[in-house]
Amino acid sequence: MHVIVCIKQVPDSTNVRINPETNTLMREGVESILNPFDEYALEEGLRLRDAGARLSVVSMGPPQAAAILREALARGADAAYLLSDRAFAGADTLATGYAISCAIRKIDPSPDLVLFGKQAIDGDTAQVGPGVAEMLGIPLLAYIRELSAGEDGSFTATVSTDDGEETVEGKFPAVMTVLKEAHAPRFAPLAGAMAARRAKVTVWSAADVGADPARCGLNGSPTKVVRIFPPPSKGGALRVDAREDADAAAAEILRLVKEKGILPQ
Amino acid sequence: MSDAKKTPVETDVLIVGAGPAGMAAAIALRRSAPEGAKPRVVVLDKGRSPGSHVLSGAIIDPSGFEGLLSPEEIGKLPVEAHVCKESFRMLFGPRKSLKVPWVPPLMHSRGFPVGSLTKIAAYLCSIAEKEGAEIYTGYAVTELIEENGRIVGARTGEKGVGKDGKPKSNHLPQEEIRAAVTVLAEGGCGILTGKLAEAKGLGGVRRQTYALAIKELIEVPAGTQTAGEVMHTFGYPSADGTYGGGFVYHVSETQVMAGYVYSLDYRRPETDPHLLFRRFKASAAVQKHIAGGKTAAYGAKVIPEGGYYSALKPYFPGCVIVGDAAGLLDSLRIKGVHIALQSGRAAARAILAELKDGRGLETYPELLERTRGWKEIKRVRNVRASFRHGTIPGIIGAGMAWATCGAFPFWRLRGFEKPDSAEMEPLKPGAIEKEAAGAPPASPLSPDRLTDVFMSGTIHDEDQPCHLKILDPAKCAECRGRYGAPCTRFCPAEVYRLEEGRLQIDFSNCLHCKTCKIKCPLENIDWTFPQGGDGPRYTRM
Ligand SMILES: Cc1cc2nc3c(=O)[nH]c(=O)nc-3n(C[C@H](O)[C@H](O)[C@H](O)COP(=O)(O)OP(=O)(O)OC[C@H]3O[C@@H](n4cnc5c(N)ncnc54)[C@H](O)[C@@H]3O)c2cc1C
Repeated sequence: MHVIVCIKQVPDSTNVRINPETNTLMREGVESILNPFDEYALEEGLRLRDAGARLSVVSMGPPQAAAILREALARGADAAYLLSDRAFAGADTLATGYAISCAIRKIDPSPDLVLFGKQAIDGDTAQVGPGVAEMLGIPLLAYIRELSAGEDGSFTATVSTDDGEETVEGKFPAVMTVLKEAHAPRFAPLAGAMAARRAKVTVWSAADVGADPARCGLNGSPTKVVRIFPPPSKGGALRVDAREDADAAAAEILRLVKEKGILPQ
Repeated sequence: MSDAKKTPVETDVLIVGAGPAGMAAAIALRRSAPEGAKPRVVVLDKGRSPGSHVLSGAIIDPSGFEGLLSPEEIGKLPVEAHVCKESFRMLFGPRKSLKVPWVPPLMHSRGFPVGSLTKIAAYLCSIAEKEGAEIYTGYAVTELIEENGRIVGARTGEKGVGKDGKPKSNHLPQEEIRAAVTVLAEGGCGILTGKLAEAKGLGGVRRQTYALAIKELIEVPAGTQTAGEVMHTFGYPSADGTYGGGFVYHVSETQVMAGYVYSLDYRRPETDPHLLFRRFKASAAVQKHIAGGKTAAYGAKVIPEGGYYSALKPYFPGCVIVGDAAGLLDSLRIKGVHIALQSGRAAARAILAELKDGRGLETYPELLERTRGWKEIKRVRNVRASFRHGTIPGIIGAGMAWATCGAFPFWRLRGFEKPDSAEMEPLKPGAIEKEAAGAPPASPLSPDRLTDVFMSGTIHDEDQPCHLKILDPAKCAECRGRYGAPCTRFCPAEVYRLEEGRLQIDFSNCLHCKTCKIKCPLENIDWTFPQGGDGPRYTRM
């Protein structure tokens, strides 16, 4: 079995601030991290690898993005590929999905399972995984929280939906996007980090993966960003101070909730 | 890779801590060794990324970089300003202050780079990596391994242990690293260093004494301030003669580092260093530098202030101690970076000899004594103790020490027979309320403690055992009666709270400064390592 996990390097949003004058991200002092949702996709991949699968990881980004691929290698991935080329710059979700699907085809024309995190925290679109499924012509299962693979190429997955949970049985190949409710990500052992330091990260250009330049980067992106702005704060929040008297505060909250009609009288 | 876990990693040199001291050792080891005989150098740091746990002022005496970095590399240091205007001010109260008309040239730092040590440490890491040293962040080293009277390596901390103490699904066991030489570069109040020094009698003539330093990065409007201007203050808000002082460094036109350093041998249990810091910022002399600004980052750390007489014997078979961990700091100027760098280089020389011939490590203390930094420490050896007798004798002592190149006073001043923890007097009724009265109101320029903690970026996985261990809960009750639970005030991260009379420990707020370990009057708090990678996330401190 061959599992391919797609991961992305993102700015650590816990530190991101927006310049109120220019409405742009203030990058000073912001670190780059492995997209938190992808941690869970990687963990599902590593679990399948523990059970005998082969695990490859792919990312698209600037050369520095190799850092997250090394982290994946340190945790146990077998091979890492980085799509890095100016031609990919400015890609929207469609062009990103296209580039990644080209890379996946080159790594393995018939992978058993391709995993993504639910979404990336910098764009929050959750579109690349489904896009790749479409381009590869592989069935998609979005928002899984649990996955187990059978011996015979079958799987059982639990999917979270708006109004509950579904248990889905099926056969690989599949593309899946993984929720944070899945297994807790593992840590890289020091010995793994040392091995990963020497391991190879294969870097591919658009030409290397046979991508059509017209479908890459800005050229291949029908979405144009017109404006970026922080949502205006709505204000009007009510604060109940519970430091002095928690019981009185609770009673006050209950009263407010009823008054605003949030709870039936 | 799972089988690799069981066989220990082997390296020539293991460096614990990727601050300036550790990185200088790493760079010098790789650079001075002949081609073909470069030692394997492994550096481990508990911070998430290079520099995450490094916090300083910092005005840096550039002598530390000489001979370590190339002129081109020195030119590329990530600093935006050099000191162009320097003043010393005695504060008499919130409004009144006086510029000190003359200070000894020794104190001057005109022309020195001033900037964030977090960034500089990360820069040194990148140079060391290029030289072939291996730096792994997010790994706490929690134990030294001793065999036959020699340190032969260390173990990393476990990860993925639940708050019930049981392994979680992602449990990562301890790993062992075997090293011909282990370098302790843990910074002030290093945990492994402290244990080794205690067990092997490596302590100095006097006990170490510490100061807590609290600091913010403040963003000020462009066009209002001058990059490179710096101010040092003493006096107010320290009222009772406790050694303390503040600093305001304009590291760029729009960024100011404002910090307050307060000695932990203070006596009054009602003391709240964070509040002192806020009073300092609210004083007229400081407001001139930060008005209209907004706090953008926060952090705290302890400084080993004891100087010459408190420095450790920095050698044990298989192991050397460098930088703040060994207490190598000029306590007159509160400058340690250049000495940390010089001690790292001196250690590298001894280590290379050891690796070649199996001996030579024991020459490190001698090599250290030949560094400029050590000579400075020796010159000001009595300064810190002078301040024990109040600010005025301190200033006189410091001035005389300078004027006589350290010869005065000719005898060794008394002081520091007791640890900082023992310097606490019983709480007087009403003292806490009196201390807190008239606190500056909270504002973007004067955040309360918790708002500040948020800006340090500190975070700990909350599903792990609390790393701050109360040794005997009964003693906490005793302390509450006698001292009024000073941990709830001295902790700059509001880790300790009284909840219905019980001590509540919010360990996730911890900034790893170790004040609680140093100052708990009953020595009832043990600081153990949380999961590697947890803790502050400084990016520009
Ligand atoms: C507010 C403040 C202002 C200062 N101002 C100045 C100044 O203006 N000029 C000046 O020269 N000096 C100044 N100093 C002093 C200076 O910062 C220190 O002397 C210097 O940082 C010491 O370097 P170091 O490498 O010894 O330790 P540190 O910089 O403390 O680095 C130690 C590193 O070791 C890591 N570590 C510790 N224990 C372990 C472990 N067991 N396992 C893994 N990792 C570990 C820590 O996470 C940290 O990254 C100031 C200090 C403070 C706090």
